[in-house]
Amino acid sequence: MNPAEIRITAEPIDTSRCKFVVSEPVHAGGVRRFASSDDASGSPLAEAIFAIPDADVAEVIVSGNLVTVVKRGPAPWQTVGKAVGQAIRAVVAAAGPAVAPKPAGPATPGTDDDALYERVADLFESQVNPMVARHGGRVELIDVQDAVVMVRMAGGCQGCGMADVTLRQGIEAMLQQHVPDVKGVVDITDHAAGSNPYFAAAKK
Amino acid sequence: MPRQSVPRLLLLLPTATYRTAAFVEAARRLGVELTVASERPSTFQDANPGGLVTLDLSDPDRAAAQARAFGREHPLQGVVGVDDDTAVVAAAIADRLGLRGNAVVAARAARDKHEQRTLLAAAGVPVPRFTLYRVDDDARQLAAGVSYPCVLKPLRLAASRGVIRADTPEAFVAAFERVRRILERAGSEMRDASVSTDLASRIPHPASGSILVEDFVPGPEVALEGLLVAGQLQVLALFDKPDPLDGPYFEETIYVTPSRLPADAQRAVAACAERAAAALGLREGPVHAELRVNSRGPWLIELAARPIGGRCSGALRFEIRERGKGKGEMLSLEEIVIRHALGMELPVLERERQASGVMMIPVPGAGVLREVRGVDAARAVPLVEEVAIVAHPGQELVPWPEGARYPGFIFARGASPEAVETALRAAHRELQFVLV
Repeated sequence: MNPAEIRITAEPIDTSRCKFVVSEPVHAGGVRRFASSDDASGSPLAEAIFAIPDADVAEVIVSGNLVTVVKRGPAPWQTVGKAVGQAIRAVVAAAGPAVAPKPAGPATPGTDDDALYERVADLFESQVNPMVARHGGRVELIDVQDAVVMVRMAGGCQGCGMADVTLRQGIEAMLQQHVPDVKGVVDITDHAAGSNPYFAAAKK
Repeated sequence: MPRQSVPRLLLLLPTATYRTAAFVEAARRLGVELTVASERPSTFQDANPGGLVTLDLSDPDRAAAQARAFGREHPLQGVVGVDDDTAVVAAAIADRLGLRGNAVVAARAARDKHEQRTLLAAAGVPVPRFTLYRVDDDARQLAAGVSYPCVLKPLRLAASRGVIRADTPEAFVAAFERVRRILERAGSEMRDASVSTDLASRIPHPASGSILVEDFVPGPEVALEGLLVAGQLQVLALFDKPDPLDGPYFEETIYVTPSRLPADAQRAVAACAERAAAALGLREGPVHAELRVNSRGPWLIELAARPIGGRCSGALRFEIRERGKGKGEMLSLEEIVIRHALGMELPVLERERQASGVMMIPVPGAGVLREVRGVDAARAVPLVEEVAIVAHPGQELVPWPEGARYPGFIFARGASPEAVETALRAAHRELQFVLV
């Protein structure tokens, strides 16, 4: 594939997080999260992103055609994003897989992501989703990696002005209470595409 | 479980605010316990009773009583309001709970445009000449006694909604009727959005309200972002507004900092804002002031006891100048506001060295948004860091003066204010809003 044919849209979430929507599939095998350059070893895309100079990349999450990058460095996304885009184009255009399959067994000693996934999925089904359904919303559990839960919001939650409150004060708080082994929650929702948010921002 | 040593912040977040993510993430970065208060209940409130609470944000006294009851179970160490209305609620709660904040009377004075001008004029702060009229007054009779050009303003609407310039008696009559209709619509929206019929019945009908008419003050406009600590104003940033705001409507567009005004003019602006805050009795917390500058010096147009609105705070980052702190460590405006409210140590702060700016994307016309084209091209413009489209497909876009929602924001940083302004304009030219 010609790298120039790959279209990438960068959607900065804040100064440290940015989502890249790629026109081609990047990783079809669920979600992969890389929390260090050691984790990235064997996955060409993650290796390339962690190697971007001055970005001080902290995390790379790959799911379908989405690549979410978390950085610690002060360099702006305008600069870092171009380097991420080049890395995505080069790796996706190459013949081999961009990301290695998820390794079997717990990634970190003392944690078991599969067991956590089951407990989180139960919590989402029995409590979280019935709650957000009252506002026409839905929260999908995408994956659990290294005890970090990845979610995608839909319906009334997608693009909602209070989505961050739902994520942090609702979902994360419930996880802390019911599944305390969970270390964090990452929202990979494309909120800009939400067409029916329950609360829409209106005030200056 | 929350540790006793971690302070708890009560964050007043109306459900229609743009400020949610910035404040919630700032609280997380600071590691404080957070309680989010809104006027409508979260579906998670029962599951997280310490982290979520519903307060009657339309009634500061009632909200303060509700907050005090909440605080018995979950002791609060600070309260922050994020907009004009919740700034008054925050003051009432701070007063009731003995927390750091402004006097309620001062917050109310800042909230009401007429009361604000009355106090400022009495204190000798330069403000445009003004008169208050009732909405049911005869506009044709009033038009004969008004000096032109003038500006008509609702007393309490945000984002310059309903603000119209009139240059002639005919234009005044038309503008007066238009503001009256906007007030009626705003009142209906507030009642429709109310949680209960009890609350809705307490919202005054705007037809019984007033319209402020003041002289139009010529000259460029600037916006000052500051923090009051024990009555002393620390200027955090001064933004130029390079697009002339000459009316007839006053939709904001570009803010760029640092200001290109001469240093002595900038000092005069800061002194004017500090005098205004003192005249209103404000002593603590964020202030956002809008001033005009002409040959007679600075004129105070508005001063609000809140941080900058919309998503515009994304244009501000502050470097920590403390020994032992890593190079490049930055604080957001929201982190500064929260630290101050909780009485946490405030490091020596200086806005980052780069110039920075934000464009509130103008409403492209009336209609229902189908899609926005050219976002990738806008993001690719050199110096542009973010293009955030906040209007969603299917949303009705309403131009000023009836409207008050920006469809999005563009952010840029660069070596100079001129370069930043150029980048913002170039990015905006790439955007195409498709309306139906």
